[in-house]
Amino acid sequence: MNPDSLSEQRALLQAVLGAGDAAALSAYLPKEDTVRQRLSLRGLQAYRANGHALAERALAATYPVLAELMGQENFSALARHFWTEHPPLCGDMACWGDALAEFVDAAPQLADEPYLPDVARLECLMHLVASAADVETDLPSFALLVSGDPMPVALVLGAGVALLSSSYPVASIVNAHLLGQPTLQQAGQLLQEGCAEHALVWRQGFRPCMRSCTAAELQLLQGLIAGEPLLDALEALSLSEGGDAPAFDFNIWLGEAVQAGLVCAARQVPTTKAKG
Amino acid sequence: MDRLVPVTDLPALTTGIGWRHPHYGQLLEEQPELDFLEVHSENFFAQGGAALSVLQQARANYPISLHGVGLALGSVAGVDPWHLDQLAALVERIEPVRVSDHASFARGAWNGMTVHAADLLPIAFHRHSLDVLCANVQQVQERLKRRLLIENLSAYVQFSSSDLSETGFLAELAGRTGCGLLVDVNNIYVNALNERIAGATDDPVTTCMNWLDQIPPHAVSELHLAGHQDCGDIVIDDHGSRVCDQVWQIYGHALARFGSVPDGLATLIEWDTDIPVLQVLLGEAARARALQLPAGEKAMA
Repeated sequence: MNPDSLSEQRALLQAVLGAGDAAALSAYLPKEDTVRQRLSLRGLQAYRANGHALAERALAATYPVLAELMGQENFSALARHFWTEHPPLCGDMACWGDALAEFVDAAPQLADEPYLPDVARLECLMHLVASAADVETDLPSFALLVSGDPMPVALVLGAGVALLSSSYPVASIVNAHLLGQPTLQQAGQLLQEGCAEHALVWRQGFRPCMRSCTAAELQLLQGLIAGEPLLDALEALSLSEGGDAPAFDFNIWLGEAVQAGLVCAARQVPTTKAKG
Repeated sequence: MDRLVPVTDLPALTTGIGWRHPHYGQLLEEQPELDFLEVHSENFFAQGGAALSVLQQARANYPISLHGVGLALGSVAGVDPWHLDQLAALVERIEPVRVSDHASFARGAWNGMTVHAADLLPIAFHRHSLDVLCANVQQVQERLKRRLLIENLSAYVQFSSSDLSETGFLAELAGRTGCGLLVDVNNIYVNALNERIAGATDDPVTTCMNWLDQIPPHAVSELHLAGHQDCGDIVIDDHGSRVCDQVWQIYGHALARFGSVPDGLATLIEWDTDIPVLQVLLGEAARARALQLPAGEKAMA
């Protein structure tokens, strides 16, 4: 029989990634040399252990709060299980693990902690923002906002700006663990009270940042992320505002957003909407 | 980048260290005398952010060697086009002195998907696997428009179908594709120690020297040195300790054999787990340099 790399590689890959036995691989190992076969099976254990250790390290780096909430032992078991169910799809481990929130969501043993999937979703966004393409700040471009030019203007957001709406006080929970603000007690109190939060993730320089945001800020940023001209996004916001919520002051917000690196520039965009 | 250290006109024998996260700041600040820094390519695939920025800062002062651990060049499933795109972009951005990866596989079919095992899994040494490896290496070289260096593995699983020697396999790979070879001295010693456990040798150092003697000198451009861990029933290449005396001894043999190759020979100190203070790595690099002196004199003669 001609040697067949496809079958050999499939057998080793299954044995390394799978949780099952190494029976399929044994067919490709030296049969007569029992010492060498035993050594290869010991080697297989080493590859498996390396994969599990890598999985634990990679996920703990991306999801430190989830790891803390679950406890080291439970989190390690989760990482190993996730590794066997959802192995990496590419050779960059930084890309692996984005499906963890759904995995946690589907885990019946974690159903008593229903906020955990959103904690994972938020930590995943914070992981992604760290490596998002850099955006240069262009302060002179903000002159477009007062130029009177009829061409619509959009705001250029900072690197990797992302939003998450949760039924849980997820921004408070994560910041309580990472920054100590609010305190763990305060975050626990918000959780008990059934408080929902919108979380905003962005980067100031190279530093990932996250805070809760209001419904109005969420709506405005959703429009801006979608590339809407600023006036359209503000118009949509004014139509939806009302009730007891304080009015959204765009001018104050913009000043703070530019200072924080959330908004980096203004740019002209082609008209997208037919005006009636 | 405004200004880069030129990667031409380097001395014939160069020495560098693997530059890992714990030493990012200190090395940028102190700028110790090193001929190059080696980084794992995949750690810098991001489109932006801090990691890429520090690599670009380092590149202003040092030639960079991009060493991959994820191309999975021996995979029958082929090279991941996304991975190759990221590597090509990084090569263009950094202008590295060398680009290398391993004679290993990691990609393959799993539950209807193509997955990546994130490890350097061994390939069998036979014609079919050589054809696969050659085709993948050629593809990468054509895309990057440069010579790739391919590293030998420490392999913990051996396939019964192997009917070529590892050295014959690597020599033919270099001959057919024009790629260079990156000889990891610690890897061949780890393999020899495991051969001793298997009862196939009682003299691992001589086994390694014989291995080196079967590699065509002109193909070799880089040597790797690292530590390993003896677990009793297996020896693992964990890059977590100093280079042992036997590996230094084999390194001396490698320098004698490959030290006068016309395109120069680089030596890298690797340390990836339990990373010590920077001074320890620089000490290992200094020891490598001291051993290079006789080989350097021979190269000058």
